[in-house]
Amino acid sequence: MSDTPSFHDQVIAILPKLRVQALALTRNRAAAEDLVQDAVCNALAAQTSFIPGTNFAAWMHRILRNRFISNLRKRRDTTDIDDVPAHVFATDAAHEDRLALKELGQAMNRLPADQREALVMVVVHGMSYEALAEATGCAVGTAKSRVFRARRQLEAWLMGETPTQVEREERAEKAAGGKRPGDQARRIAAADRHLSLL
Amino acid sequence: MADKDAAYRRRPPGSGGTPPSAGTNKTDAAFDVWLQRSLHQLYDTVAREPIPDELLRLIEADRAKPEAQPDEA
Repeated sequence: MSDTPSFHDQVIAILPKLRVQALALTRNRAAAEDLVQDAVCNALAAQTSFIPGTNFAAWMHRILRNRFISNLRKRRDTTDIDDVPAHVFATDAAHEDRLALKELGQAMNRLPADQREALVMVVVHGMSYEALAEATGCAVGTAKSRVFRARRQLEAWLMGETPTQVEREERAEKAAGGKRPGDQARRIAAADRHLSLL
Repeated sequence: MADKDAAYRRRPPGSGGTPPSAGTNKTDAAFDVWLQRSLHQLYDTVAREPIPDELLRLIEADRAKPEAQPDEA
């Protein structure tokens, strides 16, 4: 008679957010769908390890993220750099808006995966930095830094700031004792850069 | 011409024509608003798409299974 939704109901409820996270990580819709399915399979197999009453969303996002990293290690996906949903650009948005959206989509795809994921989870999902940190297994400062750097980089690319301006700020931030991404994040970023070159 | 087009596209929609000069708080705020709205446009459609039947069947099949054995691990 508990009001708490069942494990399976929680999985179904979080699917839309998992799809967004998966697309942010993979940049490819087909790969994102596969990733969500894989993550759900993993979660179902590991459901006894979930402690009811703890943060289900963070648990689930972490599973998807780990699966993404594991997939990266296993295979070299061919990545469609411009895989923003076509129908987004066929909306009734004004021509200029559509161009700007397309440019944003391309700029998003150029970001390191961990920054893209962080920005989407905070801006689109409305996740707090604390929740983001829990969902991605990093420190709160790292989560903030990822969002900050993603936003700054996008602004630089889209508003025409020189990249060196952003890089200079990043260097200054590091020099001032800013948080560095963890090993896992560095691996994702490195793999992501590698994929971008394919 | 390409440069002119690129510069035109750099203008976040809704920023009221001429983009404010970079680095100002006003620019940052306008960019944040535009970014939030645009990211929603890009990603909300994905979130709203129907869940594939295959995935739902997978979850429901698991729900219908008997409770997992505690000594499975």
